[in-house]
Parts: sequence; structure tokens; C-alpha cells
Amino acid sequence: MAQLTQAIALGLLIGGVYALMASGLTLIFGVMHIINVAQGAFLVLMAMVTWWLWHETGIDPILASVITTPLMFAFGWVAYRLLISRVRGSSPSMSILLTFGFAMVIEGVLNVTAGNKFKSATPSYFEESFRVGSISLPKAQVFGFLAAMGILGVLFFVLTRTWTGRAIRAATQNPSGAALVGVGASGTAALAFAIGSATTGVGGSILSVLYPFFPASHYDWISRLLGIVVLGGMGSLPGALIGAGILGLAETLTATYGSLSWSTLVFYIVIMVVLLVRPQGLFGARLREDVT
Amino acid sequence: MNRLRALPRAHLIAGLCLVALLMYPVVNPWEPYPQAVLLLGFLLAIQASSWNIISGYGGYTSLGHSMFLGLGSYTAGILALRWGVNPLWVAPLGGVTALVIAVLIGSVVLRTRGHAFVIITIAMLLAAQIIATNFQSLTQGSDGITLELPFWGRDFQNIPFYYIFLSLLVLTVLFSAWLRRTKFGAGLVAIREDEGKAASIGVNTTRFKIVAYAASAFMIGTAGGVYAYYLTFINPIGSFAILGSVLIVLATLTGGRGTLYGPVIGAFIVNLVSEAATVYGGGSQSRVLIFGLALMLVVLFLPKGILPTVEAWCRRRHPAEVEYTDQAGALNRGPVTTRERPLPEVVAAGVADEGARRPGSGDDPPLLDVRGVSKRFGGLTAVDGADLTVRQGTITALIGPNGSGKTTLFNLITGGMAADSGEIWFDGRRIDGMRPWKRGHLGLGRTYQVTRLFKEMTVQQNVVAPLPDSRWRTMLSDAVHGHEADRARELLDIVGLGRMADQPAGSLSFGQQKLVELAQVLMLQPKLILLDEPAGGVNPSLLGRLTEVIRELNAAGVTFLIVEHNIPLVLELCDPVVVFSHGAPIAEGPPERIQADPVVLDAYLGDDWRPAATDPPAHHSPGTATGEVVR
Repeated sequence: MAQLTQAIALGLLIGGVYALMASGLTLIFGVMHIINVAQGAFLVLMAMVTWWLWHETGIDPILASVITTPLMFAFGWVAYRLLISRVRGSSPSMSILLTFGFAMVIEGVLNVTAGNKFKSATPSYFEESFRVGSISLPKAQVFGFLAAMGILGVLFFVLTRTWTGRAIRAATQNPSGAALVGVGASGTAALAFAIGSATTGVGGSILSVLYPFFPASHYDWISRLLGIVVLGGMGSLPGALIGAGILGLAETLTATYGSLSWSTLVFYIVIMVVLLVRPQGLFGARLREDVT
Repeated sequence: MNRLRALPRAHLIAGLCLVALLMYPVVNPWEPYPQAVLLLGFLLAIQASSWNIISGYGGYTSLGHSMFLGLGSYTAGILALRWGVNPLWVAPLGGVTALVIAVLIGSVVLRTRGHAFVIITIAMLLAAQIIATNFQSLTQGSDGITLELPFWGRDFQNIPFYYIFLSLLVLTVLFSAWLRRTKFGAGLVAIREDEGKAASIGVNTTRFKIVAYAASAFMIGTAGGVYAYYLTFINPIGSFAILGSVLIVLATLTGGRGTLYGPVIGAFIVNLVSEAATVYGGGSQSRVLIFGLALMLVVLFLPKGILPTVEAWCRRRHPAEVEYTDQAGALNRGPVTTRERPLPEVVAAGVADEGARRPGSGDDPPLLDVRGVSKRFGGLTAVDGADLTVRQGTITALIGPNGSGKTTLFNLITGGMAADSGEIWFDGRRIDGMRPWKRGHLGLGRTYQVTRLFKEMTVQQNVVAPLPDSRWRTMLSDAVHGHEADRARELLDIVGLGRMADQPAGSLSFGQQKLVELAQVLMLQPKLILLDEPAGGVNPSLLGRLTEVIRELNAAGVTFLIVEHNIPLVLELCDPVVVFSHGAPIAEGPPERIQADPVVLDAYLGDDWRPAATDPPAHHSPGTATGEVVR
């Protein structure tokens, strides 16, 4: 019983972090119908930057997100203007191939500069835990969860309470209608891509503490995120939260009662089952595909 | 003409290259390194040509295609160890494994449209790697499987492998060329261009995509079995490598996606770059960086690939003569003949009825019966409990103001959209739950208000693409020669576009596209044709021919339901006329009666319409209930 509670608690904590990471991917898809395959590479890139900052200056890795988040916002903005905007309007597979190439370039640059070795940021509290009753919650997981929830809260606030957020949501639902009332599609898309990328700043910082990583880990991460987004419904933010919770739980439970090496497979199984049973995901709407 | 001359030349060059490659090990047997480079080029070309079937012709990008190479390797490796046979003999079973897995994955993912497929292909590749690592009892985990050395003497080096891979490559290219010539190939390109439209002309898109995916997996699986023997060692990381998938994609994109020889050309280029990267580029560390950059550059600056770019350049250098619509030819043609539909199961009774049919009379049996059908888009009810009966042998018109739900009703009938409620019966069967192509196979065809031709296909390919039934024989019949192609040419002559058969459909004018779309629908051998504004954009003399064609087809037993705003045409051609307003019919009857019906005038001219002299402000009130006024 204690083992089960422990697993559930850990699953929810990790689910919170996944939720933040997946929210960026689903936001970008929602606004511009582009799957940013480089999202996983962004995460690993920022984990590497965080690790380096921590290693050089001793700054707390999770606090380093104060630096990495604006960094990724700017990076996302520039990436959109220079690269992504060029393939908008061509077939969706082109944007996937472009971001896939981008992910490889980031992986390659990290390979060449940082080396092909596992890294992990280990601040002082790395091996300490909070004890609540019979379960122990590692401090790193708790801090990571709190940071993720904080940023998600800000993201929700921006999307629902500000003009910028309303513009983004309007562009998600009806791009031509949004354009008619003065919401330019291009500017909004750049903003959404920048915000979506910014989530990988804090996400990467948290990742650097919670998981060992190396340049090619971005494939694991993008599969996790895609699993979450497909489960929740592509483009749906609430869907990403619920999907992240479910998959976080599924992963920890498999690791607890099955074996650690099989737990990553959970994501792929979930993707297949969801597509078989409910292709639009939990919260996805079936849109009108046929407009004549 | 230019195309005709260009085609054999391409085959000629390919043949010369093949002879050179066959001779190379004989002429220069003691150079293992160039042979190995060529051999890996063959392997990549096999994969790229196969990938091209689903992702080039079909347009569904797979990012995990190297999975099939790994599946083939493992199948051959494991079976060779267990059965104690040479891996070469079981290599085709590797192809079978790849095929089976592709069918399984495909039947889950390819039922729907859109992004899911590409995600799944990446996910499956990574999952395969995990499974191969963890399923140790079968795969020996990350230690990998070591195979026996080749049975031939060392003097032969890898020359036997060279010829095996070369033969597999030739087979793959021949297979791809054959597929492209069939109606199956035409259907795949149709899916790439406009999947909804493809479904409406009887292309079973789900089956086509799954078959294409399986077809693209088989040769790679077989090659994977041979490759395992060539390497004599397989492990999860090497067999299910993401970089391998990227090379496949890169090769095809570089050479020209959707072309026959593009993937082969691209494969040799990418393979040379890959070798150069290994020799000069500082080893495997930088390979990811180099190929990532290459992929981005190709997507951004050479999205069509080398071969199509060169072809487009040649065409600009040697422009073909412009052909115009053969109006005289079309106008002088004899009456249209229809092909007998092969009637599969039912409707023997329907045929008997047809003999005794008196066109236009009220007691003909209903062919199409729409009962209480509704469709809402959010708050807007586009079709509202509509009832509509189209009797066999009639030319029924459906008129009504813009926005009254006519086109939406068409979409519901042909299956482009699902109705929220109500029933649709066609030829004695309930069809509202059927997929669009099934309805097409039953004999339901339609054209679109704004034409939806496959713009990058030629006119001829457009017309030959429709499938009148779901038989495999039809699907695999020749679309370039043979009776299907002959029929397509005949139909094009009927609408006066026979001379334009080899032009890309996108280069035609709007009116010409309308005519091609009509020919396309006739290929379905339909019993009922829904025409959405057939007269829009067609010039008056051809319009005369068009109405003549409609009459001739009607006399041959084809029923029509026509949406049209050209009221004189409707009154001349159609009987009965159904008037639609606010998503439901408000009047039905022979044209003379409809013409005089006050309800109809109201619907067209607005509820509060008065003669302008008595009530001029009516024009200035935008807030009136029905804003549609026909001026």
C-alpha cells in the first residue's frame, strides 16, 4: 500500500513537470499546426546550459530557469522568423522535416561542444527527501513540480487574462477571423512559438536535476511529449495537463511494478492505443476537414 | 510530345548506368573500397525508392523507415541461428515480417488523416529499439547477434553482396515503376493531392494507404536480411538507427520525391556525402550535425528535389505547344455511350425497372431518398431536417439562395461530412453510415462548385484515377495503357479535352477543369451524378454541349441532381425543380410551376421584398432576416 501511494505521489509530481513541457508543444501545434519535433532538443539544450551554469557558478539549477526561460523565448522568436515561417503554407510534413533537422543540428552541436556523455546537475539537496507519513518525496522532484506549476499558472494567466493570450487563442480557433479583427497571423504565430519554446527553458532546467541526459536523449523526450499531446488531444492545453498526469502515473507504476527498462515503452503503447480508440485524443475536437 | 520523348531517354540512361554498374566488379575486381561505397549506395537507394511509395506517391511522410531494415535483419538473424540455415535463404522472410508489421501499424494509424502517421513512425522506430534491447531471450539484448561468415571464398570478397543488393535495387525500381503505372499508383498521388476528393471518386483511401505502407516495407525488410549477413553482426542501436531513417528521407528529398529515379539519384549523392563526412568530417560525432543541416537546407531551398527542378528547367527551355479546347471536335461527336456497370450483388430488380422507365414521371422509383437530414456547424444549422427524393431517370434541379445549404447537402449525400441526424437511402440501401468511396462504388458521383482536380497530375491521370468498384483487379490495372486508359481518353474526347490529356490539370482554365471533373465522374460509371454548379465558368457554346451530354447520359439511364444558379438553364434542362431555403426544401414541382410560385420568389428575394417603387428603404436594411438578394 505504501509502495502504491509512493508511486502515485511520484507519478503526479513527474506528471506536473511533463505537463509544463508538453504545454509548449501543444500550444505551438494549436496555433500553427506545426509539430515542433525540435521541442525535445530544446529541452536537452537548456538542460545542458543549466548544467553548465550550475557547474561554473554554482547557481541552483532550478533557479537557473530565470535565465533559461527568457533565453528560449528569444531563441524561439528568432527560430520562427528565420526558419519556421519559411515553411508555413507548404505541406505539414515539410515543417516536421525542418524541425527534425533542427533537432539533429542541436544534437550535433551538443555532441561536438559538450561531448557525448551523460550529465546530471546535482545540487546539495539532490539526495534529500521530504517525508510525509510513510512516503518520501525527493526534494528535487518537489521543487521541480512547484516550479513547473508556477510557470504553468503564469502561462494560463497570460492566455486567459491578457490581450496577447486572447489573440493567441483567437488565432488558434479561427486564423482568418482573427486576422479580420486585427490579430495578425504572423506576429501571433511568432509569439506563440516563442512562448512555446520558453516553456522548454524552465523545463530543461528542471530536467537537468531530475534526469541524467546526453545529446541524443532528445528522442526520448520528444516521444514522451508526443505521447502526452496525442493522448490529451493535439492543440488542447487542458488535454496536455491531463495527459501528462496519466502518463506520469503510468510510467512510475510500470517502473514500480514492472521494470524500469520497459517503462519508457508505456508512452509508445499509449500513443498506439489512443490512436486506435480515439484518434482525436481525450480533449481534441474533430475539426471540419472538408471545406469546399 | 516532349514528355513522350523524355521518358524513354530517362529509361535509356538508367539502363546504361545499370550496365556500367554490372560491369564494374568485373572490370575492377580488386578495389574493395569503391565496391563497398557503391554497395551501401544500392542499399540506401533500395530504401529510398521504397520509402518513395508511401511518402512520395502517397504523401504520408514516414520518419521511421529504417525500422523495416532492422526488422528484416533481426528476422533473418534470429531464424538463421534457430534453424541453422544461411541468412540469405531467410532474408525474404525479413521482408514478410516488415510487411506484416507495416500492415498492423498502418491499420491503426492510417485510418485517419493528418499528423498522427509521422509521429507514430518515429515512435515505432524508438519502440523497436527498446524492445530489441529488452527482449533478451529473443534478440540477445544489447549484446547483439553474431552471424556466420559468408560461405564463399575470400577471393570473392563482397562481390556476391554487390550483385545481390544491385538486383534488389533493380527489382525495387521496377516494382515502383509498375505501381506508379497502375490505378493504385494514380490513386496514391490523388490521396497526396486531395484526400477528401480521392475518397469521393471511389478511392478506398484507407486500403490504399495501408497497401502502400506495406509495399514500401517489403523490399527494405528483405534487404535488411541480406544486410545482416553482410555485417555478420546486428545490435539494437545499429539496426534501429534514427540517422538511417534520416538518410532515407534526405536521399529521396534531394533526388525528387514522387519521381521514379529521384530517390536512386539522391541515394548515391547522400551516400557519397556520407562517405566524405566519415573520411574528412571527423568521424561519426559530426555526422548528426552534417545531416541535420543538410535536411534543413534541402527542406528550405530544394523542397522539390533535383530531378523535378531540372525537369521544370528543361520545360521552360523547350515550351510545349499550347493546346486549346477542341470545341469543334466535342460539338461534332456522336451521342455519349455509357459503359454497363458490373452489378455486383443487388439491384437486379433495379435494372429490370429501368427498362420500363418513363423519364420524368412522378411514379418512377426513388433512386436517392434523403429523410429528415440535419447538419449543424456550431450554432448555424446548415441543413435542417431536409427531405429530398430524386427519382430514377430524372434530371432534378436543386436551386435556392446562397447559403441555403445546397452544397452541404451534397457533402452529406456523398459522405464528405457526416450528418447529425436523419437517413440517406440510395438505390435501396441506407448509405449515411458508409465511407465516401463505398458510396462511389454504389454509383454515386459528384463534381464540385470550385473544382478539385489533382493539380499536379495530368488531365489523363485525373480522369483515370476514379475507381468504380473495390476489386483488387481494378486497383492494379494499368492506368497508362489498357482499357481503363482508353476509356479515360474517350471521356476526354467527349468533353473536348482529348488534346490536353498530357497537360498538368493545374494549368487548365476553370471552365476546362469543370469539364475534366465531369469526365472524371463519368469514369465511376455512376447511376446518380450530383453536379454542383456545372455551368459556372463554362462558355456558352460549350455549355450547349454540356447540356447535350447531360441529356444523352440521362437518356442512357443516368440520373442527375444539379445545383445551379443559371435559372434559364435549369428551367430548360431539369424536371422536377426543388427549391431550398434555410436548410430545407420549400417547394418542388415542374419548372413552369416553380417559376410562378410566390413562396419561391420570397425565398430568393427576401421575406420583406416589395417592388422597389413602393418600398425603397428595403435595400438599405442590412439587418433583415435573409440578407440574400438576387439582383
